Amino acid sequence: MLKILIPTLLLIPTSWLAKAKWLWPTTLLHSFIITLFSLAWLKNTTETNWSTLNPYMATDPLSSPLLTLTCCLLPLMILASQNHLAQDPLVRQRIYITLLVTLQLSLIMAFAATELTMFYVMFETSLIPTLILITRWGNQMERLNAGTYFLFYTLASSLPLLITLLAFQNKTGTLSLLIIQLLGPIPISPYVNIIWWTTSLLAFLVKMPLYGVHLWLPKAHVEAPIAGSMILAAVLLKLGGYGMMRLMLILSPLAKELCYPFIILALWGVLMTSSICLGQTDLKSLIAYSSVSHMGLVAAAILIQTPWGLTGALILMIAHGLTSSALFCLANTNYERTHTRTMILTRGSQMILPLMATWWLITCLANLALPPLPNLMGELIIISALLGWSWWTIIFTGAGALITATYSLYMYLMTQRGPVPNHMISMNPSHSREHLLLTLHLLPLLLLVFKPTTIWGSAY
Amino acid sequence: MNPYLLIVLLTSLGLGTALTLSSTHWLLAWLGLEVGTLAILPLMAQRHHPRATEAATKYFIVQATAAATLLFAAFNNAWLQGHSDIQHMSHPLFTSMITLALLLKLGLAPMHTWMPQVIQGVSLNTGLIVSTWQKIAPFILLLQIKQIHPPLLTIIGLASILIGGWGGLNQTQLRKILAYSSIAHLGWILLILQHSTALATYALLIYIFMTSATFITLKKCKATTINMLTTTWTKAPTITLVAPLMLLSLGGLPPLSGFAPKWFILQELTQLNFIPHASIAAMAALLSLSYYLRLSYSITLSLSPNNLPECLQWRVNYPISTPLSSALPAALALTLFLLPLTPSALTLII
Repeated sequence: MLKILIPTLLLIPTSWLAKAKWLWPTTLLHSFIITLFSLAWLKNTTETNWSTLNPYMATDPLSSPLLTLTCCLLPLMILASQNHLAQDPLVRQRIYITLLVTLQLSLIMAFAATELTMFYVMFETSLIPTLILITRWGNQMERLNAGTYFLFYTLASSLPLLITLLAFQNKTGTLSLLIIQLLGPIPISPYVNIIWWTTSLLAFLVKMPLYGVHLWLPKAHVEAPIAGSMILAAVLLKLGGYGMMRLMLILSPLAKELCYPFIILALWGVLMTSSICLGQTDLKSLIAYSSVSHMGLVAAAILIQTPWGLTGALILMIAHGLTSSALFCLANTNYERTHTRTMILTRGSQMILPLMATWWLITCLANLALPPLPNLMGELIIISALLGWSWWTIIFTGAGALITATYSLYMYLMTQRGPVPNHMISMNPSHSREHLLLTLHLLPLLLLVFKPTTIWGSAY
Repeated sequence: MNPYLLIVLLTSLGLGTALTLSSTHWLLAWLGLEVGTLAILPLMAQRHHPRATEAATKYFIVQATAAATLLFAAFNNAWLQGHSDIQHMSHPLFTSMITLALLLKLGLAPMHTWMPQVIQGVSLNTGLIVSTWQKIAPFILLLQIKQIHPPLLTIIGLASILIGGWGGLNQTQLRKILAYSSIAHLGWILLILQHSTALATYALLIYIFMTSATFITLKKCKATTINMLTTTWTKAPTITLVAPLMLLSLGGLPPLSGFAPKWFILQELTQLNFIPHASIAAMAALLSLSYYLRLSYSITLSLSPNNLPECLQWRVNYPISTPLSSALPAALALTLFLLPLTPSALTLII
């Protein structure tokens, strides 16, 4: 673990001491090397599922895909931010990279934590760099409101989680994930266990986000700069899913009837947010609501607590992370050229930037869960698991899949096809950096088709 | 101010607190409190501004009332009990009266109304002394009283956290915001006072570091309202960088030191099964966080004159080097980086 953490930590002095010309290439190179080393985590060698074990951190098949995704995302964020930060003074560029690295550190430690206390502290730690990214480097005035919503939604739900974790430690004496998976049911009175269940999971449901408490997400995703949007969509939402999967272990005897309203809310959210996507004018807002929709499926799958549900949830989380991040990168390439996010003002890009249209096509097809991509694998496994739980869910999931296909194609057709607007006089050609960025998003997605067991999780 | 006078006053201030800290008899404790009050009054009134005079008057009246009540209750208790030991008070009425007097001295709800007005009226340095040093002596006395009626401390503690949060929401004057922040933090300390003296001391210590760092930063930027904070990015970029972290530390966000006292207080409360208290305190901390966040928006996260929903200040002050600014790096380091050292810090205090 230290062989990843210490190089990541030392990226901070690297970003401060590198010369101006070498700042971005150096940090990019070193973060790629760190990603390479993090791929070693994907091999699960032990029967007990916990590998790379030390007293505070470990990886298991649930956390290692998320860890690799996190490490993979840092070079991609650096690559994506290079253009819009080129006009900032050098010190601010260094600060930006430092923020990204700090966020990376907190996320690695969160996913790798064995003590739930450390997970909680790192969960909260990831809020500060994200807040600073959104409110300082966002582009519109609404970013301040977005930062406030982001911080307060997350904190209002995670402070009860803190108290629940402390109460849990009081009752059972430990908060180590290695031990609580072996504990039996906890003796709590029947009315208190409702509160216990709700407060434990509320933080993660808000983070995922669940439909009723999702209002922070469109604001935060839209107002954040590209690196902020990428890390939010790809990893921070998955913190919620990961936390839920971990805490379900301790909560299992309590949760049988309590999860019903949340499953219904999640599934209804899938339908609702997909429908909202159909009526969006803002491209980033569309992608943000698409994230809510996919995460609604993940939330429902985790809440039903079957092995297939957890497997499907993890696969969809990884696949959605890569796809959503790629979509935000594509939206950013558009934004950097036209400085608008309104879709009707940026149509017909296929004529102007044909290769980018290919990436748009592949990414939109991934978003709508085209076989054989892991997006489909995840969605199919989740839909089957939900069907096994109750026949009626097929209405929601089927309609949701249909509307997802509709808005993904709508997004593609709006941005790529159609007449080029008359006001677009010149657009810079695509940079190789942008092609590289999208390739690095889509290549892992395509490669995962061949070996999905890497992101399968510990249920199988 | 005349340097000789300043030395005499500051020494008297230290002497007063030291007297109180080292006393076991109520008379000497009262004496120390009065010396401290009297010593700070010239410091408060040194600016010949009506608001400063008013602040000094209010402070004197409040502290004198509290001290008189303290003395009255202490003597009654001595009459009934036969001795005047601080640590062995037993009469419930007079214990409560003394507690209320000390809480009035500290400025906790519902006896908090003097705090914002007094701290607003004095200069930033004096406000620093009132917020940090003057809390130590009453706090130590509170620690030593053993038989306080527990609901009293709990209700006042929770009320202080809530009022500290709500009161600061509508303020634009920074000193008032820091006064309400002080009320809220002392409320947290009060919640845990009866149950763990070590944690209460630790919380007070961290609060003193954080508040000192904030006051010194504001003094350097010569900022007394939120508008005046908006131009720090042009004048003192390093302060602009760390100020949001300092404010979020006041708000109690990990991984900054301000999280440590809140975390341990919540842990202690849940271990004692005071979970509703812990929940209310935790949620009320979010109220304070909202105005700290607003301050950090003004300082760092929006570059005036762009994208700011507020007005900009017209005249630009340059940062000054105050005698206290050499303490700023130390205070800031302690405010930001103390969380990983918490276990060793706690063993030092227990």
